[in-house]
Amino acid sequence: MPLPAPLTENQVYHGCPEDKLDFITTEDLQDLERPYGQDRVLRALEFGAGIQAEGFNLFVLGPSGAGKHELVERFLSLHAARQPVPPDWCHVYNFQFSDRPNALKLPAGEGRQFKKDMNDLAEELRTVIPAAFESEEYQARLQELQEEMARRQHQGLFDIQEEANRNNIAMITTPAGFTFAPMRKGEVIDPEEYKKFSDEEKQLVESKVEELQKKLQQTIQQIPRMRKEVRERVHALNEEMVQLTLGGPIGELREKWSHLPDIVDYLDAVREDVVEHAEAFQDGDNGPPAGLLARYKVNLLVDNAETVGAPVIYEDLPNHQHLAGQIEHRARQGNLYTDFTLIRGGSMHRANGGYLIIDARRVLTQPMAWESLKRILSSGEIRIESLERLYGLVSTVSLQPEPIPVSVKVVLLGDRMLYYLLSHYDPDFLDLFKVEADFEDDLDRNEECYELYARMIATMARALKMRPLERGAVARLIEHASRLAADQRKLTAHDRVLRDILSEADHWADQSGADTVEASHIQQAIEEREYRASRVRERSREQISRGVVMIATAGEEVAQVNGLSVLRLGASMFGQPTRITATARPGKGQVVDIEREAKLGGPIHSKAVMILSRFLASRYAGDGELSLSASLAFEQSYGGVEGDSASVAETCVLLSAISRVPLKQSFAVTGSMNQHGEVQAVGGVNEKIEGFFDVCKEAGEIGGQGILLPASNVEHLMLRADVRQAIAEDRFRIYPISDINEAIELLTGLEAGEPDSSGEFPENSFNFRVAERLEKFAEASKKRDENGEANSNGGKDRD
Amino acid sequence: MTDTRAAETDPVTTTGRVLVLLDGSRMSYAALQAAAEIAAKSGADVLGVFVEELNQLRSAGYGFAREVGASSGISRPLAAGEVEQRMQRLANEARRALAGAVAPFGGRHTLSVARGHVIEEVLALAGPQDLLVMGRVGWSSAPGARLGSTAKGLVRRSRGRVLLWCEGRVEPLGRIVVFLNDHRDANSHAIQAAADQAHHSHRPVTLLIGADSTVSSEDLKDIVRDLGIKETDLRVRSLPSTDPATIAGILRQERAVQLVLSRDCTLFQEPGAERLLVALNLPVTVTP
Repeated sequence: MPLPAPLTENQVYHGCPEDKLDFITTEDLQDLERPYGQDRVLRALEFGAGIQAEGFNLFVLGPSGAGKHELVERFLSLHAARQPVPPDWCHVYNFQFSDRPNALKLPAGEGRQFKKDMNDLAEELRTVIPAAFESEEYQARLQELQEEMARRQHQGLFDIQEEANRNNIAMITTPAGFTFAPMRKGEVIDPEEYKKFSDEEKQLVESKVEELQKKLQQTIQQIPRMRKEVRERVHALNEEMVQLTLGGPIGELREKWSHLPDIVDYLDAVREDVVEHAEAFQDGDNGPPAGLLARYKVNLLVDNAETVGAPVIYEDLPNHQHLAGQIEHRARQGNLYTDFTLIRGGSMHRANGGYLIIDARRVLTQPMAWESLKRILSSGEIRIESLERLYGLVSTVSLQPEPIPVSVKVVLLGDRMLYYLLSHYDPDFLDLFKVEADFEDDLDRNEECYELYARMIATMARALKMRPLERGAVARLIEHASRLAADQRKLTAHDRVLRDILSEADHWADQSGADTVEASHIQQAIEEREYRASRVRERSREQISRGVVMIATAGEEVAQVNGLSVLRLGASMFGQPTRITATARPGKGQVVDIEREAKLGGPIHSKAVMILSRFLASRYAGDGELSLSASLAFEQSYGGVEGDSASVAETCVLLSAISRVPLKQSFAVTGSMNQHGEVQAVGGVNEKIEGFFDVCKEAGEIGGQGILLPASNVEHLMLRADVRQAIAEDRFRIYPISDINEAIELLTGLEAGEPDSSGEFPENSFNFRVAERLEKFAEASKKRDENGEANSNGGKDRD
Repeated sequence: MTDTRAAETDPVTTTGRVLVLLDGSRMSYAALQAAAEIAAKSGADVLGVFVEELNQLRSAGYGFAREVGASSGISRPLAAGEVEQRMQRLANEARRALAGAVAPFGGRHTLSVARGHVIEEVLALAGPQDLLVMGRVGWSSAPGARLGSTAKGLVRRSRGRVLLWCEGRVEPLGRIVVFLNDHRDANSHAIQAAADQAHHSHRPVTLLIGADSTVSSEDLKDIVRDLGIKETDLRVRSLPSTDPATIAGILRQERAVQLVLSRDCTLFQEPGAERLLVALNLPVTVTP
């Protein structure tokens, strides 16, 4: 089998030739109007923002730092500018049900005017109505009324008194009422003297007294009715005065707002209310109670006077109150009170008729906020209720403002996991968020990309108000973008990382007194970032160089190989070699994964070990039984092991353990393997290679070390300059392998050996040795089984 | 029957006493409070007068006597014993109220409890120097009267000043309004009464004169001197008519807090006096 040639310097790095960049600095480049490479998202946004049907809200999904927020806000601002400005909304007092403030809709910008008009009206009422009550006309009419009523009231009593006097009967006032008694010359006759009266006289007196009593009773019992009549007539007079006084100001307002029937109805209600409370305006000294006039105020909840196009609102703290609004309270002398002027609108109110951008994770972590958001979207109206009320924690009387109809397009921003979890677990989610706008993580790196990517960088640089970048700096950044994408054919679309590098490079340019950002500044920014995150990596390497963690980079060893692993810490990741060892002895065809047994291995790793176990059985045992008891372990690994990228290395080390053929320790191996021995791609290859390279360097001079990696991973290579240099000088080699036999041959220096038609491997080949050793295992096992059976029978006999 | 437990010294002074008529009604207690304040300012003694009305006692002696409730109109039997008890209770209350009203000012007070006819008993007690303070209306306010029969009788027959009290609103910038007529002596009394009040309350004064009357500048100087106020604190207005509504309007404009008029004042003698009082809700001092 021909061995694969080691990779050349050009194969392990996709450089960016400066001649592809047709500018001197990024100042020469125009801003990008549309985000580059995010066509899927843009089409989804265009569709979602434009469609009017219910439930077509958007979920923009992508990794954090991908620039979702900026892109969505920029897109929606442009889109919304072409749309009509939504109406203003205000809450006013409900004169019928005071705890349910009414909501009024006005064309955009008219809310302010209406609020001012009502404030002016209240101010006018404060002076005009008391003045009307002070007027001579009113006082004279009131006087007449009171006099007439007093006369009528008194006349009844006076008539009875007169009648009594005519009949020589005194009507005497007592603390509790009145009594009648016969009198003479204005004095009540002594009862003793009365006894001397004839029976006839007595009869006359007593019947008259009785008659007068009855009349008095009737007269007195009519007094409450008469008083009520007085009150009603005074009230009617007050109403008449107020009606006349209000005619002017309210009439003007009615005329002014005649194009809005709801406002006209409200003004009529105000007039009726003022008339009803006319008496409260009568106190000329203190003026009408402030609480009364406050009822005629307007709480302008949504003011779109200065809004251009449809509103685009970003709610950075999307809790229940901020979304749906709240009813605030004022504390006065230890008591809390509220009224309709203390109703505060939420971002849903402000975004009504436009777009509301919310961070999905934040809305999900706020109590009840997600449920409230869904309720508003489902019902199409905003109902302001306090959180305590929703939880049923309070039962005090509060306001229930009239719900405001809402037509808002909600754009949720979140990572993919959230989107898929919500889709799976929340039955309402897909009904309400039908438009999925999925961000690209990476962009294609092709011939056309350079200009656009450079313009994207130029746009970013200008947004960051930093120095312009030189062509070389852009080229270096493009190369790094490929490294970040871990693909020679891709460029990262991760907005945050690029911005951070640009900002840092600008800082270093500033430190060096440069007017432009050069390639060296970009490189410095990249290196500084790596250095800042390198503490754990360096400690780990130090352990290897001091021999605490045993890694051999030279010589040959049986049943021992260098695997490669990647550690991710925060935003950075690095690779390092790990010694993998194996043992093999006769047994019942089992490969013990020590990591799994110790519960340190993950399911993918276990799967990989099972695959290699079946590969061994099918390749070497044929129709017979695989008599093997083997074990695999990641030495000095005290954390979890996951993934299948070590399966090529594990296969090789296991085969070495079986065949007793040593493996070259100057190589490190990565790659996964299927049951047929084909090598498959893995992740983190750049970090792994650089990790092993650094370990070799620290162990001594680089010379002859190398890496075996899946051939399908070659286009993912974007290696560091020093590694590339070593490759160019043939001091470090990277072999692309596609079959396990290639790995065997490179690691052992022996021919792997292909089986002939009868399944036999060529003599002296590596596979022949493996098969031969396994046969010996099988014989040994068979012998042991026979001995065991005999012993067992003997035992039985003995029993 | 005279009760002198509360004061031991002779109440008669050169400036006269303040007599206050107590009948247990709400208005009479309001008048008591006003009387106590006036007495405190002038240093006069307070003589409370409680009269057990003979007519009332007699009327309760009839077997057929019934009392018709002033508010409810319900008729119920009236027994002499009950009336006696009620009067005793009211007298006790009056005694306590008198002591309570005068105590904060530290003045002297006496309660005179008499049995007979109210007007006669009060006239017997009141001298020409005494100020008689009483509620404008007593128990008859319940069915709606604005000027009681006792007030009417005493205003007509009293030899001294009578202050008909009623509870009005407190007006910090209010004025004392004096009606003047053509009787020089009567005017002099009214001016004197207004001067006393202006002295105690430091309020400005308005003189109201008939449409066809005039006050010479000399007379005006005399009046200012008699009133003991600055010339700027005096205002003179003529009455366009004696219609109660007009007068009430003027009094409102003047923010009147006290009205002073002579008993002989035509305004008070007309049958419209009751109408005027209906329109006015302020204390009225009637001078001889």
